[in-house]
Amino acid sequence: MSDLFKIDMTYSQSHWIMPKIILGVLIILAIIIFIQEYTKAKKANKPFVNLKGWRFFAEGYDKVKLFGSIGLLFAYIGLMQLIGFIAGSIIIVSLFNILYAEKKDAKSIAICIGISIIETMVLWFIFGYIFEITLP
Amino acid sequence: MIEFGVIQFLVALLGVVIGIIFGALPGMTATMAVAIFLPLTYAYDLSTALYLLLGLYVGGISGGLVPAILINIPGTPSSITTGFDGHPMAKRGEAVRALRIGITASLIGGLISLAVLAFFTPVLAKLAIQFSAVEKFLIILFAMTVIAALSRGNMTKGIFAGFLGVFISLMGIFPDNQHMRLIPSFLTTELRDGFQLLPVLIGLFAFSQMFSEAESGMKHMVMSENILDGKQTRKFSFKDFKGQIINLFRSGLIGTFIGVLPGVGGSAASLMSYSQCKAWSKHPEKLGTGEVEGLVASEAANNGLTGGALVPLLSLGIPGDSTTAVLVGAFMLQGVQVGPLFISQNPDVWHTILFALLLCNFLMFAVMFGPIKFLANIIKIPMSKLYPAVVLMCVVGAFSTRNGNMVDVITLVVFGILGYIFSKIGLPATTLLIGFILGRDLEKYFIDSLKGSGGDLSVFFSRPIGLGIWALIVGFLVYAFYDNRKAHKAKIA
Repeated sequence: MSDLFKIDMTYSQSHWIMPKIILGVLIILAIIIFIQEYTKAKKANKPFVNLKGWRFFAEGYDKVKLFGSIGLLFAYIGLMQLIGFIAGSIIIVSLFNILYAEKKDAKSIAICIGISIIETMVLWFIFGYIFEITLP
Repeated sequence: MIEFGVIQFLVALLGVVIGIIFGALPGMTATMAVAIFLPLTYAYDLSTALYLLLGLYVGGISGGLVPAILINIPGTPSSITTGFDGHPMAKRGEAVRALRIGITASLIGGLISLAVLAFFTPVLAKLAIQFSAVEKFLIILFAMTVIAALSRGNMTKGIFAGFLGVFISLMGIFPDNQHMRLIPSFLTTELRDGFQLLPVLIGLFAFSQMFSEAESGMKHMVMSENILDGKQTRKFSFKDFKGQIINLFRSGLIGTFIGVLPGVGGSAASLMSYSQCKAWSKHPEKLGTGEVEGLVASEAANNGLTGGALVPLLSLGIPGDSTTAVLVGAFMLQGVQVGPLFISQNPDVWHTILFALLLCNFLMFAVMFGPIKFLANIIKIPMSKLYPAVVLMCVVGAFSTRNGNMVDVITLVVFGILGYIFSKIGLPATTLLIGFILGRDLEKYFIDSLKGSGGDLSVFFSRPIGLGIWALIVGFLVYAFYDNRKAHKAKIA
C-alpha cells in the first residue's frame, strides 16, 4: 500500500516525472470533456459528430483578409532573412495596410506605402539606433 | 525611496494616453497594449518600465468606457456592463455627463483597489515566506483550481487549457539534470530552453485577436448618431455621486476581489458588480434604462481590477489576470523574481509600484475628464491602419527577446494561430498562459518536495499550512461543481 504513494526518484530520469504526470492529467481531462460533450449531444438528441451546420469560421467571413494575414506573416519571416529588416518590413507592412484598407485606389495605396515607410523607419530608429538592439 | 522624475512622469503619461486609445478601440485590449510595449522597456530600468506598463494598464482598462457609452460596444471585455446604463444616458443627450460619471467612478475604483494592494500584499507575502516547496506547489495548484472554478460552465476546458500550458512550458531542458525532453530532435538547438514567454504571450493576445478581426473584415466603427454634438440636456456634477458612496465602495471592492483571484477575466468583475448593484438597488427595475447607479457599479469595479490583480502577483508570484501575466514578463526581463520575497528584497520597487499606480490613476482622470469631447474621437481611428503597425512592433519585440533570434518570431506566429484556434473551440487563452508561466515552478517545487521525502507523496499532506491549502482547493472544487450545475440548469431552463 505504501508503495502506491512513492515515486521513483532516479536522478537521470527525473526530467520525465512531471511531463508524464501532466500528460496523464491531460488525457483524463480530454476523456472527461469527450464524455461531457457526448452526453450533451445525446440529451439534445443530436448526433455526436454533427458536421452539417458546424462551421469553424464565422458565416460570410473575410477569406482574403484572414488567410492573407497569416500568409503575409510567414512571408515576412522569410523576407526578413533574405533582404533584411528595413526593406522586408516596408514591403510587408505596406501589403498589410493595403490588405486591410477599405478603398484600394491609387491614392490610398500611396498613403499605405507612405505610412509603412514612416512606421518602419521610426521603429528602426528607436530599436536599432537608440537601443542598439540587433534587427534582422 | 521612490524613483520619480520628469522622465518617469512623461513615460507614465505616454502609457496612460496609449492605454486609453487601446482600451477605447474594441478589438484591442489593455493586455495587448502592455504586451506589445513590453519590448520597448528593454532600454529602461525596472522602475521606469513599470511607470509605462502600469500607465498602459490603467489607461487600457479605463478607455473601454468611451465606446461602451457612445456606441454601446465595450472597448474592453471589462466594460461589458458600462453600456447597459451608459448608452441610454448618452441617447438622452447626457453623453458627456455619463462619460464623466464613468471616469470619476473609475478613479475611485482604482484608488480603492490601490489601498487594498498596499495593505494586503505585505501581509500575504509575510505568510508566504514561511512556505516550503510543498506549500508553494500546492499554492500553484490552488491558483489553477481557482481559474477552473471560475471559468463558469466551461470548467473542464478551463482546467485542460491550464494543464496544456503547463505541458508546453515543460518543453526544453530540465535544469536539474540537463536532459532534453519533449522537443523533436531536429529542433534541439533552436528550442533548447523551450518557448520564450514574450512571443508566446504576444502571439496569444495580439495576433490571435488580429486574426479574429481579419476574419470579420476589419470593419470600421461608425457613431450612428452624433450623440456628442447635440445639445447636452444635463450637465455633470459631483452631486451625481450623492447616495452612491456605498455603491462605489461595494463595486470597487468586488472588482478588487475578482482581480485577486487568478485568471478571472475583467468581464466577470463588472458583471458581478452590476448584478450585486441590482440586488441592492431600491429600484432594480430601472437599471438598464440609464441609471447612474449601474454605470458607477460597472466602472468602479473594472478599475478595481488593477490593484487587485497585482496582489497575488507581488505576494505569491501568481498573476491575477491576463495583463498582470504579461507584467511577469517585464519583471523577468529585468531579472527580478516576483514571489513572497519580492517586497522585502525590493522595497524601492514596491514603493515605486504603489506610487506609479496612484500617479497613473490621477493622470487617467486628468487626461480623460476635461478633454473628453475631444478624446471621444479616438473611436474614429481605423483599426485597419493600426494593426499593421501592431504587427511591426510585435515582430520587433519577439525578435529582440533573445537579442535576435528568428525562432522567437516563428513562435509568435505559431502561438497567434494557436490562440485563434483556441478561441474557436472555446479553450481560454488566459488559462493557458497562466499555466505556461507557472509550469516550470510547479515542476520545480514538486520535484524539490519529493527530493526531500525520497519520493514519498505523503509529504504533501504532512504540514498544517499545506492541509489548509488542500481544504481551500477541495472547497473551491465543490463550489465550482455546484455552480457549474446551476449554470447548466439555468441554461436548460
